[in-house]
Amino acid sequence: MMDLNRRLFLGRAGLGFGSLALGSMLRGGESGVNGLAHFAPKAKSVIWLFMRGGVSHMESFDPKPMLNQLAGKSIGETRFKYVQDRDRLKKVRVVVVNDANGQQRNKLYPLQVGYKKYGQSGIEVSDWFPHIGGCIDDIAVIRSMWTTDDNHGAQVQFHSGRHMLDPRVPTIGAWVNWGLGTLNDNLPQFIGMGPRYFDRSDGHYLGPAYDEVKLKIDPRNPLDYAKPEGDLTGEEQRLGFGLVNRLNRLSQGRYPNDAKLEARIKSYELAYRMQTSVPGVVNFDAESEATKKLYGFGQNQTRSFGQQLLAARRFVERGVRFIQIMHGAGAAGAWDQHSNLKAKHSELAMQVDRPVAGLLKDLKTRGLLDETLVVFATEFGRTPGSQGANGRDHHPYGFSVWMAGGGIRGGVTHGTTDEIGFHTEEHPHYVTDVHATLLHQLGLEPERMEVPAHKRLEMDFGHVIKDILA
Amino acid sequence: MKHLLFIAVLGVATFSASAVDYLRDIKPVLKARCYACHGALKQKAGLRVDSAANLRKGAKGEDVLAIGKPAESELLARLTSKDAGERMPPEGAPLKPAEIAAIREWIADGAPVPANESAEADPRAHWAFQIPQLVPLPGSSGNPIDVLLEDYRSTRGFKAQPLAERTIRLRRLYLDLIGLPPTRAQLADTRPWEVIVDELLKRPQHGERWARHWMDIWRYTDWYGLGAQLRNSQKHIWHWRDWIVESLNADKGYDRMIQEMLAADELAPTDLKALRATGFLARNYYLFNRTTWLDATIEHTGKAFVGLTLNCAKCHDHKYDPITHEDYYRFRAIFEPHQVRLDPMPGVTDFEKGGLPRVFDNHLDITTRLHLRGDPKTPDTNRVMRAGVPAVLAGFAPKIQPVKLPAYAFAPAGRDYVQRDRLATAKSAVATAKQELAKAKQLAAKAPPEKPKQPTEPKPKPTVPKFSVHDDFSKRNDKLWEVVGTGWKFEKGAALQTTATRETERLALRQKLPRDFELTCRYTHTGGSLYRSVTFRFDVSADRKYANYVYTSAHAPGPKLHVAYTRGGTSTYPADGLVSQPIEIGKPYTLRLAVRDRLVNVWLNGKFQIAYTLPDRRPDGRLELSGFDATVAFDNIQIKSLPADVKLAEAKNAVPEMKPASSVEIIEAKLAAAKAKVASLETMFAAENARGDTIAFQKATQAAARAEALALKAAGEYELKAFVKDGKKVNAARAKIANGDKKLTAADQGKGNFTPLRAAKKALETPAHNEGQYPTVYPDTSTGRRTALAQWITSPKNPLTARVAVNHVWLRHFGEPLVESVDDFGLRSKPPAQQLLLDHLAADFMANGWSFRRLHRLMVTSQTYQRRTTTAGADAKTLAADPNNHSYWRMNTRRMEAQVVRDSLLHLAGVLDPQLGGPSLNPGDGVRRRSLYFKHSRDQQDKLLKMFNDADHLQCYRRTESIVPQQALALANSKLAIEMAGLIAGKIEADDFVGATYKLLLGRQPDADERRECEAALAELEQVATTAKKANPAQRARRGLVHALLNHNDFVSVR
Repeated sequence: MMDLNRRLFLGRAGLGFGSLALGSMLRGGESGVNGLAHFAPKAKSVIWLFMRGGVSHMESFDPKPMLNQLAGKSIGETRFKYVQDRDRLKKVRVVVVNDANGQQRNKLYPLQVGYKKYGQSGIEVSDWFPHIGGCIDDIAVIRSMWTTDDNHGAQVQFHSGRHMLDPRVPTIGAWVNWGLGTLNDNLPQFIGMGPRYFDRSDGHYLGPAYDEVKLKIDPRNPLDYAKPEGDLTGEEQRLGFGLVNRLNRLSQGRYPNDAKLEARIKSYELAYRMQTSVPGVVNFDAESEATKKLYGFGQNQTRSFGQQLLAARRFVERGVRFIQIMHGAGAAGAWDQHSNLKAKHSELAMQVDRPVAGLLKDLKTRGLLDETLVVFATEFGRTPGSQGANGRDHHPYGFSVWMAGGGIRGGVTHGTTDEIGFHTEEHPHYVTDVHATLLHQLGLEPERMEVPAHKRLEMDFGHVIKDILA
Repeated sequence: MKHLLFIAVLGVATFSASAVDYLRDIKPVLKARCYACHGALKQKAGLRVDSAANLRKGAKGEDVLAIGKPAESELLARLTSKDAGERMPPEGAPLKPAEIAAIREWIADGAPVPANESAEADPRAHWAFQIPQLVPLPGSSGNPIDVLLEDYRSTRGFKAQPLAERTIRLRRLYLDLIGLPPTRAQLADTRPWEVIVDELLKRPQHGERWARHWMDIWRYTDWYGLGAQLRNSQKHIWHWRDWIVESLNADKGYDRMIQEMLAADELAPTDLKALRATGFLARNYYLFNRTTWLDATIEHTGKAFVGLTLNCAKCHDHKYDPITHEDYYRFRAIFEPHQVRLDPMPGVTDFEKGGLPRVFDNHLDITTRLHLRGDPKTPDTNRVMRAGVPAVLAGFAPKIQPVKLPAYAFAPAGRDYVQRDRLATAKSAVATAKQELAKAKQLAAKAPPEKPKQPTEPKPKPTVPKFSVHDDFSKRNDKLWEVVGTGWKFEKGAALQTTATRETERLALRQKLPRDFELTCRYTHTGGSLYRSVTFRFDVSADRKYANYVYTSAHAPGPKLHVAYTRGGTSTYPADGLVSQPIEIGKPYTLRLAVRDRLVNVWLNGKFQIAYTLPDRRPDGRLELSGFDATVAFDNIQIKSLPADVKLAEAKNAVPEMKPASSVEIIEAKLAAAKAKVASLETMFAAENARGDTIAFQKATQAAARAEALALKAAGEYELKAFVKDGKKVNAARAKIANGDKKLTAADQGKGNFTPLRAAKKALETPAHNEGQYPTVYPDTSTGRRTALAQWITSPKNPLTARVAVNHVWLRHFGEPLVESVDDFGLRSKPPAQQLLLDHLAADFMANGWSFRRLHRLMVTSQTYQRRTTTAGADAKTLAADPNNHSYWRMNTRRMEAQVVRDSLLHLAGVLDPQLGGPSLNPGDGVRRRSLYFKHSRDQQDKLLKMFNDADHLQCYRRTESIVPQQALALANSKLAIEMAGLIAGKIEADDFVGATYKLLLGRQPDADERRECEAALAELEQVATTAKKANPAQRARRGLVHALLNHNDFVSVR
């Protein structure tokens, strides 16, 4: 809590809605400006799409025809033997020694899907993602990501930059939430949807106020206790909230610099507004059939994810800063094909491909793509070698993510892995480089994202991937 | 770090051109690769390499270095050996060439010893591994907490805040000791502080309050499973919870509590009350994986009692602490023989309804193997792991001694109350049958003998569609429907069932349906859990034990449409009434149902689904709509008579035969069977009790076998009559009779055997087992391993146990622990700022019978506990130098735990039910008991409690304290908060309503500004209520003020 205190002393918290009189908010007064950017921002909001488990980079955005040539051969008997040199493998920190997963898989496994060139840029995308392929000229594919966890702690790592064996630190969503004022006083600025495991908190030492607010796509019940469960009129409720706020503020004289009190005041102000604002956003009645179709409402496989993405667009329109959407249920994440890769990966790709492309197109049509940064990421890649008969194992040494919108250059690929997709070669990027790039586009300098008593390391800040900026 | 990784990837050597630096180039390598075996804790071959000086000393007098001559040095020879058996280190990769080169160069340079180099510290010297000692207090008077902290502060020039105002302190004290805020009268209590403290410590609510804390730490969880199948924890585990409450209220020593939790079955094998304690172990039961089960037992025995992260040694030696891989499996061996069973409790004969979960040593000779790399698939078969505690602290471990158990413990069928209860149950069946018989005879005398109904084909009656009901649910229509339950909302043109319950909430049509009807309803499954069904019941009897129904279920593994029925309160889900259907949440469905006599036809979204013939009908019953585990939106419904000319599809299902109505003959058979059962039990108990006298036992056995055979036959005869039309049951009854005959013959020949009573129920070791394969008598000896473990943990020589407990108690009174990592007192845990205080309290705790009551008293009677929380008026230097309050110059503000929030609301409203103990309750708005009695498991948690960071049932050594808008919504909008606000407002009778309310809810008087705000709000609320023509506007305004103050930060805060 002391960190929060310091933050209050620094006077930064007041830039959100915290400093505004509740009265003016209750009357719907104008409020909320973007206050904190370190320099002119390119993007206002982030839609963070995270595929839980590991998406095979070789079967999505990083084609490796060499695997077809060498199919069935052991890595050790090819000219790529060097990729398994001990020194090259040691960056990975193993959480569970000799786990059944996270092992070297030696027998090269051919590509399980074909590739096509898309768009003017002619970037190749696998046949499992045809709709995303159709948007490729708006996308920058980063083919040279690496991380250091060979197991699903990598999910935590992609969000926080820290390995599972390290202490928990704030996630990128929390940092954005912390760093920027809100654009809408009526909604939480950090919203989460979809399944989440391992680390279910975001704020950590920044405090719980920076955790995601979890929502369900159900206009009747998007969040618990969204309306009074008793005989309480709207007017009475309004008066009650107003009184609570004034009394809490009065007790600030008695308890100065009390970060918890300040946080509670903020939480009440937001709660009051959320009651009315949130259900409206997840109600899609006002959306046209064409829009719904674009997001895949028409198909069973795509509807659920499509609804979350359409809600995300509606939140972006209303100024929400960070929308974190997880895809793929199960403790290990659905994208985790230790076996049966072809069948399951193609099915999962189908669930996300159309909705994601729909989101990009919709944002573009509405002129929102320029100020909305969309990130499509995953825990790690999958091994070039096969696991069992038809699977691939976890692969932290090289994998792909992509970004679009928000001042990101479209139709480019950046960085490479070697010919069998094992190690990063050109422009390797640790996961926090994605964070740094995102913060940069939001107008924030990563190095200034730090609070006293919690020293961050160079690796925590990452480096902006300048090559993909427009 | 990242930078370094890149270098490594590129394979660039990083040694500078200058001479080798031992500290920079060599020591880190040795530390990483060699210290584990050649350091402070272990010196394999007598060698330590944790300093240059130690390296020069060599191994047991043999040099490992030839100074100046690397080629002759044993060290280099071993590091570079090609022989895998010789090469060091034996595990992992050899040292890198550059590392070896550095060592070579250093030896060649004469192996210089750097100045002031220290060898590795001995982990045994770790602060928390030393027995805590009482601190001689400077100045003899005063509470030691105050004395030690004041001493700490005064040497630093820190100044403490004054005491908080008395009412604030009283509120703090009540919330901490009993978990309930003081009433107005209690706030005005002027008796000395210590008197009030002692009174609160003796209240039964104190045990409840602190039990919940220990339930966090000891990971209390109710059972979960699939249907009746138990998968985790135990049914009736609440007995353990009650033991915790009672033990705390009796101020049982913490040492004894630990001993009972780990080994009551060995220490007090006939004490049913003490046996409840072993719920601590039984809670870890896990049907599917014994290793998962034992891993949890090991990890949390370590963390909860001694603050050791033993779990980190499951796959390899602990990375930080002196706990080896072997230690882990020796610890496992302590628990390896134990299993869990439900013992009979007096007065309960059905284990679904009651029973005592307890552990016992089941497999005395089972071996424990070390799992290589933690993988149960690769046990080290070369050695057996013997039970033991971690070697580093094993110096004071007692010897393990097997325990002989009394028959009461290992043969529960011999317990007197078991026999009494079973006989009583059997005798009451006789009594019931007698009553039924008398009634049946009476009826038979009055009425002509019943004729069994002939199943006749329904003759369609020429009916006109006279019945018609339509509702589009645009508003609530109480004339049409009886709305049962509180989860119903009528809005947005739909009837919304907003809470997922099991049949308890429903819309019941007030009008009587015609026998033949059709119903069309459009609805949406909007959510819920597990079955997520929408049910259309008809023919529902007044007692609801009879119904026919159709439901759609979005149950994830098998969504379906199903025709089913309930008879005598038992539901039947016929396989031929089921159609698999991908029912989805959020998608509207239109269901059409047509019923003509027993024939049912169902369509979904216009598509025909199934025809089914019900066993029978009772068309006098009601029609009901409901969700089962589901939230639902009903958009509209139409119900009308089914015209005779509407053609229905014929059903393919065989007509299930129902038993014919009771008759004298059947009940006579039932009575005979009940009597035979009594006789069988009586002779069986006689045989059980004759064990030990061979001749008498043999004789009694034949009698028991004979009685059992007769009882079997009598049961068969009864079933044969009762289920005359059910082929399956008839066959089963015939088999019973045949079996009885066989047994009777054997008994008559002196070769009979009786089936011993299964008086306890052992939890299945794996899903592949069934209960019948387990013996009914358990081992007569226990290994004594858990007793030895408990004695080791509670030994006054154990440096950890008392410290860990004191730290937990401190955390819960002061908001911050003395040792930050409350579950890890290992080497990563640095000596705390207030170690003297911790040690003193721990030593005092042990020296005074491990009494929590004394410990609480010491803490809450200290000045430290009673200080203000505010920083207002603080000494500037203190505030600047100790902002985190390490010196406790002020009290920390805490937020109420989830349970305290809810309990306080109920208590202030005067509706909290003070009943102690008993089975766990389903969470819900209507419950008035304290929150610790709610079911709390993976599958069940109260929603309101969850908002306020309820305990994680898997691991909760410390609650998190978040502040999020959802909490605001819960207190502002929940039924509970609104309802309690009204009740509280009604209870406050005072001229100064604002002042009295402020004091009651926040523990202090309002200041002038606050008072003005409240008065203004009261006036405004009253005005609003008057304008809206609400009843009793003044009282309503008072409710509004109370509700607002319940939402005040300082209501949920412990100031």
